[in-house]
Amino acid sequence: MTRILVVEDELHLAEGLRFNLEAEGYQVDVVDSGEAAVDLLIEKARKYDIVVLDVMLPGKSGFDVVAEMRQAGQFVPVLILTARGHSDDVLTGFASGADDYLTKPFELTILIARIQGLLRRREWLQRTRPVEVRSQSFTFGEQSVYFDLLELHVRDQIFPLTVMEMNVLKYLIQHENKPVSRKAMLEEVWGLHEDTDTRAIDNFMVRLRRYIEPDPTKPQHLLTVRGVGYRFVAFPEKLQ
Amino acid sequence: MIGIARKRSIAFFIALCACLILVSILFYVGWVLLGWHRGILLFLGALLLVFIIAGIVLNTAFLVREIRRNEQHDAFINAVTHELKTPVASIRLYVETLQARSLDETKRKEFYNVILSDSDRLLGTIEQILRSGRVRSSSRKPNFAPMNLGEAVGECVARARILHHVAPESLEYEPGPQLPILGDNDEVKAAVSNLVDNAIKYSGTDMHVQVSAARIDGRFAEVRVKDRGPGIAPVELKRIFKRFYRIHGPIAMRVKGTGLGLYIVRSVAKRHGGRAWAESAGSGHGSTFVIQFPIAPATQQ
Repeated sequence: MTRILVVEDELHLAEGLRFNLEAEGYQVDVVDSGEAAVDLLIEKARKYDIVVLDVMLPGKSGFDVVAEMRQAGQFVPVLILTARGHSDDVLTGFASGADDYLTKPFELTILIARIQGLLRRREWLQRTRPVEVRSQSFTFGEQSVYFDLLELHVRDQIFPLTVMEMNVLKYLIQHENKPVSRKAMLEEVWGLHEDTDTRAIDNFMVRLRRYIEPDPTKPQHLLTVRGVGYRFVAFPEKLQ
Repeated sequence: MIGIARKRSIAFFIALCACLILVSILFYVGWVLLGWHRGILLFLGALLLVFIIAGIVLNTAFLVREIRRNEQHDAFINAVTHELKTPVASIRLYVETLQARSLDETKRKEFYNVILSDSDRLLGTIEQILRSGRVRSSSRKPNFAPMNLGEAVGECVARARILHHVAPESLEYEPGPQLPILGDNDEVKAAVSNLVDNAIKYSGTDMHVQVSAARIDGRFAEVRVKDRGPGIAPVELKRIFKRFYRIHGPIAMRVKGTGLGLYIVRSVAKRHGGRAWAESAGSGHGSTFVIQFPIAPATQQ
């Protein structure tokens, strides 16, 4: 049975969500604080198929929770559900490692559709894994990116990426060797068109570098282009 | 939300800044170029220098205050966004649930009650915001009429017991003697309700709140709301009455609010010629909130 964790401190919303998700046939657990969520997901390593996460929680905020989860290697899909709808908040949410973001008040049907979308993606991934269908991949040096699997293989190591991290990486690879502006990435990857603080992207780059660069302090593949944004170089030796 | 007073203070500080520049130029021309190094002019030069330094200090203080205000305003917008959107989200969720699913009678009744209580919460927040604007504007004269403070407090306590599902022994109130005051019934009740609601909200699970109303040396009618909650650090006792101010920390995260409640309490007390303050033996020792109103003159009774 599909298990959903709802992290929400507003009692009415939490119970309303529980009722509806149970009616959809899911098994639902509810906790009311960031600390309790971290305890369940990281300390107890409880298995969930999806987490619905509020941001303004007592104690630890939802953004901190998802960042800590990703840091600790907990890669369950996370849907952030919050009253904070400013584009800076949305970017912070994705930058901390969330897979989807929905603002309150929300439409019940949309919420359920998004949850189903995330679950379907997960199911597809699991289905493709045993057959090792790796048609959609890109290899450079010792690194291979498997777009559909949301995985990055470096020698024998496997790094699972979030959907957003993969989208950013994919976009950079598609524009190999060409400088890509932060604004273009915001528009193409996030679909945001407002004038926003584009530095949230830098957090993504820091994480991606940690995965793909042999020495993240001296990047060879993910280069910063001053005043513009970034440039992906698959084969730095060819460039010289 | 910029008030006239604030615009005036900004104009004052811009004028001060212009004066400072003028004095600096005067000082430079007189002291350095023309050489006033003698007698009375020496004194005048020193005076100008003192004036410039004092002005710079004043301007910096103003700048810091404005920055702080801005930060508090941002926090307020965030809190209000949350307080307004959450009940709407909840109401929407339950209405959609009622619409989309077939439910038995008890479930339906339960959901209707949730919707009602969320719309009350929404209304409460809206009233709080509107009231904070109203008690600020001095142009609108309050609607003063003779009233019995003890009775008003009784109504507030009864309302709080129902609203927060609190047993009478956890929220105690002994109706006392007649306390005739001249006041705006709505505002007085809103102020007392804010104090009682705060005491309940911040108390947590182990709740014990005592409300009392008494006459103090014949001139004031006083309401005390005493709780055994988390208490207040001495430095915060005054600040918590400021508009938008909320104490930083885990308690403020647990208890949601707009930072307007105590501001309203203090403003209402002032408008009625009374005052409001908080007492606490420090963090962890509970706190007592007091609001005083002047007793109505004997001829009014």
